[in-house]
Amino acid sequence: MTGLGAADHAGAVTIRQLRKSFGSTEVLRGIDLTVDAGSIVCLMGKSGGGKSTLLRCLNLLEQPTGGSIAIGDRTIFDGATRLSHRDVVALRQQVGMIFQSFNLFPHVTAAENVILAQTVARRVERDAALERALNLLATVGLSHRAAAYPRQMSGGEQQRTAIARALAVGPSILLCDEPTSALDPESTRDVLNVLRALAQQGMTMLVATHELSFAREVADRIIFIDGGQIIESGKPEQVIDHPERQRTREFFEHVQS
Amino acid sequence: MVRNLFHVDWPHYLPDIATGIRWTIEFTLVSFVLAVIWGLVLALARGGRVPPVRWLAYGYTELFKNIPIITEIFIIYYGLGQVGITLGTFSAGVISLVLFYGAYLAEIFRGALQSIPETQKEASAALGFSSLQIIRHVVLPQAVRVALPGTTTMLVDLLKSTSLLITIAAAELMNQAQTISSETFRPMEVYIVVGAIYFAMCFPLSRLALLVEHKLSAGVALSPMRRRTLRLIRSRSVAAHPVHWQ
Repeated sequence: MTGLGAADHAGAVTIRQLRKSFGSTEVLRGIDLTVDAGSIVCLMGKSGGGKSTLLRCLNLLEQPTGGSIAIGDRTIFDGATRLSHRDVVALRQQVGMIFQSFNLFPHVTAAENVILAQTVARRVERDAALERALNLLATVGLSHRAAAYPRQMSGGEQQRTAIARALAVGPSILLCDEPTSALDPESTRDVLNVLRALAQQGMTMLVATHELSFAREVADRIIFIDGGQIIESGKPEQVIDHPERQRTREFFEHVQS
Repeated sequence: MVRNLFHVDWPHYLPDIATGIRWTIEFTLVSFVLAVIWGLVLALARGGRVPPVRWLAYGYTELFKNIPIITEIFIIYYGLGQVGITLGTFSAGVISLVLFYGAYLAEIFRGALQSIPETQKEASAALGFSSLQIIRHVVLPQAVRVALPGTTTMLVDLLKSTSLLITIAAAELMNQAQTISSETFRPMEVYIVVGAIYFAMCFPLSRLALLVEHKLSAGVALSPMRRRTLRLIRSRSVAAHPVHWQ
């Protein structure tokens, strides 16, 4: 490990005037956001509004073009900071991510997906990794699927395996990029139940989602992103039920109908 | 007709046949190993970040894919000899085969590397894998499975192509056959027998490759360590939905 120890990143996320352009297209246009340690923030808004890009900036899958990001008390990006490859790797072990398309490793079983995350990223010894993998799979309700290959699993099972895999690395923050958008209602419910349990255990989570009831129930705060900016932010009942902005109102009327 | 086959004194020629088989195998193994390495270098160069290197690798593969291998052999053995670079038959043979099959293998490897979705690399990066770990644990294991069928086809093809080295008297199987045939005036029997020997080498090779392919795609562990892990996982996994294993 390098200077980026677990304690440095534990908890909070501080984003100031974050900007990101792809070529001449500006996707994030000055995002300000503070997420307290252990709190749950749901990112809502139209597709293409910048939710994914914002999340991907937080583990530096995308390199921002302006502003600053701090995880815990460590600045991971600002005009002057460019993390070394080793520090980026260490950062990503603290900030886990799950994707809309699951992205499990197709050539190994569910359990091996979770083992690999530990033996490679954390250099955990194989038997200990196996033990922990089976425990994690049990907590996401997949003990019986440990030996299955991703192609043999339903979408919901794959996503829950992906969550177990992300947790295996031991992150203190979890980024969820539309984790249920590719799932049927039943699988969606299973995955959201796992995320709900995680939230109760004090994991800091940023979740891009269109699931209103989940956001309403779990989120400490909802931020509404449109055109690369946060146009509304607050408690779920405030943003969903009494939005101030016209565009937010239209969006939620559309989603609820 | 069948009795005529015995007009060749096979026991007498057995040592020559054995020598031919040995050279054929040596040409095949040495060339194939080097061609795989060369192909991998070319594939990485074509997928690399430096444009001139990419263009060079592209030009190379196209050039060598579109010249008959026999022409190449002649340029390398006779052509280079003319300008004062004299190569032994073994070096000339191996170099020709490596240059030719390296180009084809490069195409196969490039396709295999490209077939691994960007999302796989992203997902592993997000887990905190370093670039080298991503290549070693995520990209290569998947790419190998994609590249395997094409690569083994090339291995069998390369073995058969060693017969072209008859033209530079490389002492391989076909070359021995020619000698025996000219001594016995029995081309029919000699070449049929030699053909059968090529078949006996190539056919098991293709079957073996197919077997490995099936095992890999069925998820059978090839390494003892993975076999052990899979056994542990299976024994500990509650079999509510049994998984089919081959």
